[in-house]
Amino acid sequence: MSENKRTAAEGEAPAVVLKDVGVSRGRYDILHEISCEIPSRRQTVIIGPNGAGKSTLVYALLGEVEVSGSVRFNPAKPVIGYVPQRLDFDHNLPLTVSEFMALGRSPWPLWLRIPKKVKKLNREYLEMVKAGTLMDRPLGSLSGGETQRVFLARALREKPDILILDEPASGVDVYGERLLNEILETFKREMTVIMVSHDLDTARCYADWIVCLNRTVVASGPPEEIFKRDVIGRLFGLRLEGGVPTAADPSAAAADEAFEDRYGESPGSEDEFPVKRGSARPAL
Amino acid sequence: MELIEPFYRIFGLLYELEFMKKAAFALLLLSFSASGTGVLVVSRRMAFFPDAASHTIFGGLALGLILGWNPDIVVLFFGVLIGLLIIYVMQHSTLASDTVIGLIFSGGVAFGLALVSHYPEAQGKINRYFLGDILTVNEMEIRLLIVLAFVSLFFFAFFYNRLMLTCVAPANYLKSPMPEYFFGGFLAFVVVIAVQVVGVLLVTALLIAPAAAGRILASSGKGMFWIALLVSIVSGQAGLYVASIPAVNTTPGATVVFISIVIFGAAVLGKRIVSLFRKKELIVNQNA
Repeated sequence: MSENKRTAAEGEAPAVVLKDVGVSRGRYDILHEISCEIPSRRQTVIIGPNGAGKSTLVYALLGEVEVSGSVRFNPAKPVIGYVPQRLDFDHNLPLTVSEFMALGRSPWPLWLRIPKKVKKLNREYLEMVKAGTLMDRPLGSLSGGETQRVFLARALREKPDILILDEPASGVDVYGERLLNEILETFKREMTVIMVSHDLDTARCYADWIVCLNRTVVASGPPEEIFKRDVIGRLFGLRLEGGVPTAADPSAAAADEAFEDRYGESPGSEDEFPVKRGSARPAL
Repeated sequence: MELIEPFYRIFGLLYELEFMKKAAFALLLLSFSASGTGVLVVSRRMAFFPDAASHTIFGGLALGLILGWNPDIVVLFFGVLIGLLIIYVMQHSTLASDTVIGLIFSGGVAFGLALVSHYPEAQGKINRYFLGDILTVNEMEIRLLIVLAFVSLFFFAFFYNRLMLTCVAPANYLKSPMPEYFFGGFLAFVVVIAVQVVGVLLVTALLIAPAAAGRILASSGKGMFWIALLVSIVSGQAGLYVASIPAVNTTPGATVVFISIVIFGAAVLGKRIVSLFRKKELIVNQNA
């Protein structure tokens, strides 16, 4: 499987090629000479400690900050879906999930009507991310995980070439995070997924490609290669013990049960998507 | 003008005097523009903006006097220009929006007052803008308000969704800043016209109070818009009617704003009582 991943990643032209990309604010270099490739139709996880410039790299990909160097996409002008890290909007704003999904899609103004066609499409995408029941809830009343899935549904609906998720695990419990990863698993062969994370287990379990970032690219490659070398240890300043976590772990099996109680049957096979429960969690 | 004849006939049931019918119709037209704009202002936390735009009146007025042009028209253009300027500075500086608005707002007032103090003949006009006067609304101004209502309808149809989206969405959902500029210009346009009705001091409340009531009572974006419109129309008409009662005899503009704030207060109180009642019900149910 790992061999497959690598050849597939190398077989197709990369989705993004960064060459000597730098971002500076005032006199400070936030990112410095970033050169790496992000494989097409695979899940890439960008990992690095706090302050490594992960979010800045995301902004650079989104075209939100000025960069030096070159960022080339394939296709040249991709549709980029983005699920932000902090969902800090006005939580008391009376706006339902259904209305939020319709904004920017519906040709009719919000105060008049939402066409049935738009509603149906939105429901389909919300159901895909297991948020179909949230249609009539006010957006501000949703939990962190629910809000994230709604934003994900919105991003997916635009059929993006590249889907970027900035720290999707922050502010979400272990079930919510797992659910998100399983949803992504069903989409990642259709689009390039770029996920920013400081969680090594996420990278280990779900990534096809890892970019280790600490102001510059420390290393990039398939996970087994990255985890074989001592790059991660150097990056996070810790030593890793234990192997890739598996579902055979008894605590993982318990988590599985709890997960199914909450969200029903999981979409993927257990062996393929081990529970995030590694022994390599960085000590805080 | 045949189109507005039916409205005049309806208002004729309430008022005998021609200028009262005109005032009622003018308020009805303004309600539509002001409430929808107010919803956007409240949702986007820009309550300070109409305040700034309304105070630019002084600058526009002074400029009109110096240039010898019709001050009513200069005021309109000057207001829109300042609205666009605020948006431009907000987009291109790292300062918080309230700082930008505060600066430009004070700048406009200072410029206007400095010039006006030099032209004593401007004082009378200034007073009119300070307090507003719906009762002297003329045929020309009614026409302007009809234009405003159509511009508003167009604006709400094409930009409402995009502007609401910026309240909740991350930056890259909206690549183009154009809707922001349209909003800045449109908002200033509405404000400058509304100033002639309720005056500089109360224009913010005219826009914001109905929208705030809508926000308190509604559970959806659509609901907020319609509740704000309803509150705006009701307070507009009720304010004019109450002010016209001989025993009351108050300034219509101020009465309208006061009533809309009373409705807002009632909405807050009503919501409180309902939620307390629900809590009690919950406790009773739990005990049972």
